[in-house]
Amino acid sequence: MAYRSEFLSVAGVRTHLLRGGRGAPLLVLHPEYAANRWFPYHDALSARFQVLAPDHPGFGQSERPDWLEGIDDVVLHYVDLLDTLGLQHVAVIGSSLGGWIAAELAVAQPQRIQRLVLVGAAGLRVEGVPRFDVFLHPIEETLQHLFHDPTRAAQLLPTEFGADVIARAYGEATTLARLSWNPYLYNPKLQRRLRRVTAPTLVVWGANDTYLPPAYGAAYAQAIAGATLQTIEHCGHLVPFEQTEQLVQCAVRFLEGEG
Amino acid sequence: MVQFFYFHLMPWPYLPDDFDRRHPTSWVTFSNAHYDPQRGHALYNEYLDEMERAEALGFDGLGVNEHHQNAYGTMPSPNLMAAALVRRTQRAKIAILGNAIPLRDHPLRVAEEVAMLDVLSGGRIISGFVRGIGCEYLSLGVNPTYSRERFYEAHDLIVRAWTEDGPFSHEGKHYHVRYANIWPRPLQQPHPPIWLPSQGSTETIRWGAQRRYPFISVFTSFAQTKRLIDEYKAAAEAAGYTAPPEQIGFAVPTYVAETDARAREESKPHILWLFRRGLKIPPHFLLPPGYITEESLRKFLGAGLRPPSDMSFEELERGGYILVGSAKTVVDRLKEMQRQLSFGLFIGGGRTGDMPQAKALKNMELFAREVIPHFRD
Repeated sequence: MAYRSEFLSVAGVRTHLLRGGRGAPLLVLHPEYAANRWFPYHDALSARFQVLAPDHPGFGQSERPDWLEGIDDVVLHYVDLLDTLGLQHVAVIGSSLGGWIAAELAVAQPQRIQRLVLVGAAGLRVEGVPRFDVFLHPIEETLQHLFHDPTRAAQLLPTEFGADVIARAYGEATTLARLSWNPYLYNPKLQRRLRRVTAPTLVVWGANDTYLPPAYGAAYAQAIAGATLQTIEHCGHLVPFEQTEQLVQCAVRFLEGEG
Repeated sequence: MVQFFYFHLMPWPYLPDDFDRRHPTSWVTFSNAHYDPQRGHALYNEYLDEMERAEALGFDGLGVNEHHQNAYGTMPSPNLMAAALVRRTQRAKIAILGNAIPLRDHPLRVAEEVAMLDVLSGGRIISGFVRGIGCEYLSLGVNPTYSRERFYEAHDLIVRAWTEDGPFSHEGKHYHVRYANIWPRPLQQPHPPIWLPSQGSTETIRWGAQRRYPFISVFTSFAQTKRLIDEYKAAAEAAGYTAPPEQIGFAVPTYVAETDARAREESKPHILWLFRRGLKIPPHFLLPPGYITEESLRKFLGAGLRPPSDMSFEELERGGYILVGSAKTVVDRLKEMQRQLSFGLFIGGGRTGDMPQAKALKNMELFAREVIPHFRD
C-alpha cells in the first residue's frame, strides 16, 4: 500500500507524519521503539482507513521542543495536530507509549475521540505487579523483553550500528526519560481520570507481556466504562510487531463498529 | 607553588570472592547486603585517621567527595565527613569535591551546610560542585535529562544565598523559594571558593572559566587532562584573563615507594581494584538518557576511547591515569606535567581501592617527605 512521508508545523513544532490509505481517519501512535517507519501493521490498517502515523515529538524525525517535559505536553501537541489536520473526530490506536498518549488524549478531549484501541498501553501503575525498567538495561536486553519470541525483535533493529544510529537512539531515550523517568512510565492521575473516556474502547494485551504484564491491561479495562479486554496468546508487549495479523483483525473489526 | 590535597574515596574493599564473575557492576544493583556496618565502623575511623595524619604530614588540604549507593566510595554525604574532619584538624583546607547539587532536593540545604562548615572551620572550606555520575540518577530517582539545568540553577541559588542579604525570593524552573535567608552565612567572603571537578564538557569548562572557578580534571589520562586544561585556558583567555596555576588542577591515584619496581608491585592490585571493580560500570549506567547531549555522545563515540576499566596496569601507567613510582620518578613526572599544564592544585590519593592501611600510610609519608618539598618555592 502506498504511503507518503510529510512534515507539518504543529503550532511551530516540526512534526513528521506518515500517511497512507483512504477512508475514515485513524491516528496511529507508535510505541517508544518504532518511530519513523511504515511497518506492516500500518500497511494492513491502511487497507481500511486513512492511517495518520506521526512521530511523537523527540522521536524519529519530529523535533523535541525544549518545553516538552511531560505527557500533558505531548497530549496538547496532538490536540494541535488534530486541529492542524482539521479533524473534528478521529479514531485512535496506540501501542505502549503511544497507548498512554491515546488514553490521555481520550481523557482530554473525549468528544473528539470516536473509538479507542489501547495496545499494551503504558500510563498506569498496578501496585505489586513489577514492570520492566528500560532505563536499567541496555537496548539489546530491552528488545528481548518486548517479544515473547525474541527472534521477532530483529525487525526493529537497525541494519547498522554507527555512532549516528546510537546517538539517535540515545536522543529518543532522552525524550522517553524526559517524559517518564520518574514516575516511571505512568501518570499517577490517569487512573482516576479515565472515567472521562466516552469512546468505545478496546484494550489489547499480549498474554506473555513481561514489560507491562497483563494486569495492566485489566486495570485499563476496569477503569474505562464499557471497555473490552482482548488478550492475544503467544505474544509479548509489542503486539503490532509480534502478532500483526491478529491485532489488525481485531482492531479493524472493533473500529468498524462490529466488535 | 603547588597546593597538595590528600583525597579519599572511602571505598568498600570487602567485595565477595565471586565479584568478578557474578556481579556486572559495583553500582546501582550491587546489593547493600554486601555492606557490613561493623566493618564499616572500623573502616570509616581508619579512613578519617589517615586524613588527619595527612594534615600532620604537611598536605595543604584534605579532599572528600560524594557518591551514592556503591562500593567505589561510601561517602554519600561529603559534608558529614568534612564536619568530622573540621574539629580534628586545625590548618588544612577541607575540599568538598564536591556536592552533587543536581541530585539534592534542595540547594539551600547545601548552601546551609557548607556555610555551617565554613563558620565552624574558621574559613577552611573549599566548595566543589559536581553533577554526580550517571549511576546516581538511577540510584536516587532523579531525572538525568535535567541534570545540567538543575546544576546551573542550584549553583545560582546557592551563590545568591551565600552573598545576598536575605530574605530574597528565587522563582526558577526547578526550585522555588520565596524567603531564602540562610543562617549562618559563610565566613569566607564573598563565599567559600567554588571548584569544578569534572571530566569536562566544553560547556561546563567555558562556564567555569568565565567565573574563574578552579577546574580539576578527574581520573583520566594525561592526554585528556591536557586537552581539558588547554580548553579551560583558552576559555579563560576568551573571557579576558590568563588562568593562573591556582585555577588549574587534576586528581590522580598516586603511589610512592622506595623504588619504581616496589611502587608498581605494591600498588598494582589496589589500583586494578579501583578501575576494574570500583569503576565496573556498564555504559548504560554511566550515561543514562539525557545525562549528556546527543552531540556529546556522537563525539565521544567518534573518539573511540577505551574505558580505563579495560586497560592493563601498564597501560594505565603509560596513559597517565595513575602516578606510581619512586619519589624521584614522581617528582620528575610532576615537574614535566607542571611544565605542560602549569597546574597549582594537585589532588592525590591515597588509599586506593582495597589497599591496606599500612601501605597507604607509607605512601603518604613518602609523598609528603620526598615529593611535596620539591614544589615549595
